[in-house]
Amino acid sequence: MSIKGIHSKLTTLFSILLTLLFVYTAVSKLMHLDTFQLRVERMPYIASYATLISWAVPFLELVIAGLLWFTRYRTLALYASFVLLGSFTIYIIIVLKYSESIPCSCGGVISALGWKDHILLNISFMVLALLGILWSKKQYNIQETQKSVQ
Amino acid sequence: MKSNFLKLVLPAFAILLAVGIAFATEESNLMQPGYADTPSGPLPVQTDCLDEGQIQCKAGAYFVYKDIDLSDPLYEREE
Repeated sequence: MSIKGIHSKLTTLFSILLTLLFVYTAVSKLMHLDTFQLRVERMPYIASYATLISWAVPFLELVIAGLLWFTRYRTLALYASFVLLGSFTIYIIIVLKYSESIPCSCGGVISALGWKDHILLNISFMVLALLGILWSKKQYNIQETQKSVQ
Repeated sequence: MKSNFLKLVLPAFAILLAVGIAFATEESNLMQPGYADTPSGPLPVQTDCLDEGQIQCKAGAYFVYKDIDLSDPLYEREE
């Protein structure tokens, strides 16, 4: 199998993993939206945006999970995944560094993870998104070169 | 043909699996009744705080307890 083929298959695998993560966390939040909102209300710095965040985050997660499966929008969805995970990771790091109380706003089995494990999980998925972006771009460049040669 | 099949089946499988796991692990997200220690007396509240922990749970500015006598404190989810 060519390197291009492996990259394409790995990008699909990363899309599956990101879809699993986003759909799982979005459905967990939407099933108990009031609990999620309550938890966000207790989070430092973002409490006043709790209502907006509790609707926007699961909505964004579902949209990104959907876009990952349209070839045309996959790169955009990978960028969005990277930004969403990155924002959350930066927020956790700031809270861990500067806030005294750090209540968890996570849902489902992810709530069993500690904050540091949560950061590691997020960074791992960010790496997958980043690799997906790089390989999608490479694939796009190769396709464009082939088109211009023909 | 195979590629189109996979393009449809893979995302559908991933989405169904994620929804299934979300429902299977639903219990860890549930709320429980508690009582906030307000100046006007115990106030019933819904909370997701835990029976054990280190930082005592608050509803707004008031500490939350498991019982109406305010003797059994609830704790924040820290992890």
